[in-house]
Amino acid sequence: MNIFDIIGPVMVGPSSSHTAGAAKIGYISRKLMGEEIVKAEILLYGSFLATGKGHGTRMALVAGLMGMKPDDCRIPESLNIAKRRGMEVIFGESDLKEAHPNTAQLKLTGVTGRKLEVVGESLGGSRINIAKIDGIETNFSGDYPTLVVHNIDQPGHVSEVTAMLAHKSVNIAAMQLYRSNRGGDAVMVIECDQEVPPEGIKWLEKAEGVVKVTYLSLED
Amino acid sequence: MIVYNTVEDIVRICRENNMLFWQVIMRADAQERMVSEDISFAAMREMYRAMKRADSEYDKNLKSPSGLSGGDGEKMRIFNSTGNNLCGAFMGLAMEKAIKMGESNACMKRIVAAPTAGACGVIPAVFLSYETCFNAPEDKMVEAMFITAGIGAVIAKNASIAGASGGCQAEIGSASSMAAAGLAYLQGGDAECIAHAMAFALKNMLGLTCDPVCGLVEVPCIKRNSAGAVNAISSAQMAMAGIRSAITPDEVIDSMRRIGNAMPSCLKETGEGGLAITPSAQRIKETLQ
Repeated sequence: MNIFDIIGPVMVGPSSSHTAGAAKIGYISRKLMGEEIVKAEILLYGSFLATGKGHGTRMALVAGLMGMKPDDCRIPESLNIAKRRGMEVIFGESDLKEAHPNTAQLKLTGVTGRKLEVVGESLGGSRINIAKIDGIETNFSGDYPTLVVHNIDQPGHVSEVTAMLAHKSVNIAAMQLYRSNRGGDAVMVIECDQEVPPEGIKWLEKAEGVVKVTYLSLED
Repeated sequence: MIVYNTVEDIVRICRENNMLFWQVIMRADAQERMVSEDISFAAMREMYRAMKRADSEYDKNLKSPSGLSGGDGEKMRIFNSTGNNLCGAFMGLAMEKAIKMGESNACMKRIVAAPTAGACGVIPAVFLSYETCFNAPEDKMVEAMFITAGIGAVIAKNASIAGASGGCQAEIGSASSMAAAGLAYLQGGDAECIAHAMAFALKNMLGLTCDPVCGLVEVPCIKRNSAGAVNAISSAQMAMAGIRSAITPDEVIDSMRRIGNAMPSCLKETGEGGLAITPSAQRIKETLQ
């Protein structure tokens, strides 16, 4: 636990979970997309849906999706800024079942047409959890450089990825494996102590059996 | 590597290594983030100064977007300056600063979440007032800030700091216990005294619900910051007097988690119970729509 998630962050009010946490979910999603977002379908669940409006949750999510951080004084103006930039924003209700009370489901399209779906949960004190990417469970905080590899569920892919990280001197802080069914879609979520160099990610994208690589860099 | 999961862990590490409470928290942070202790200390000083800036940027003329909040901190300042203050200069100033910070937050100004935005007034109210009234050096204040952070981290780990999960006890209750712990240190309390100041403050806030009007971080949140600050001061004073909590500090935190889990969801930031469904709240809701 980072103590500066307890004392901090410096943020625009009024709610650390519903404003700053929402902005962080948007910001991390923008980083995961890796390119400008031109269309965002924002589906809210639970308390985000019930009380989000008064907390500026919608403004904060959109601000984050445009790359603004939780202390950005432009958050109250984000919906207008998105309109000026020509970003299409649609709000709705999420049909998730039994999700965390503060959940946003984001269906995003990037400037090159890249698609990404993120389910983000705001845990309080602006800490967040990225619960799902493209429908498969993930669970990471966004506090570490994070590599998300979607692959076909077959032997050898984990060792390929970890061998690449070892070769680049990247230490693994936490690693999770999920799959939809045997031989189906699988995902590796690897939180790292160092940034993964771009050539490592490019190599992975071309590796056989790898469907998609999503990388969260903490560098600006 | 320093690792702590409970208040008892911190107290034990202090005893075994002859360290102060704040040093344990700072060293653990430096090790965890792989930075020097100087960098850790500078980062915490920056948080404290951000609190100071937010306090000094209070604008008495601002109103929140809902129109419900603004200007009450100025009323407290004026009243305190008349000499009719009921509870002494320090506590009076803490109440004033707590309300001001809560109002700044509601008006979408920049604040420091501590541990949350809804509770952002408690710690700066107690600390900035203490620095002013007791002429404390800034370094000492930053040391005490590490104590608040360590207590908050333990609460987040073993219970919750989110109103939606644990009710207001998790927000104002956590902030108040963090401030009480820091204040006990500022007054010269040892690790045990710090832990019991924390326990008193949290015990007094157990069961507090999160039922804000229209779901906004305004009513009753802003005034609860003042209550949290006052509770922190009285709790630190009890601990400094040598009074000890019959329930251990970690058991108080465990209780807070269990109470939060047992609390119905209508009282956990959903706007569906408590103060939020009173006739007054309904009238406010109608005028906002």
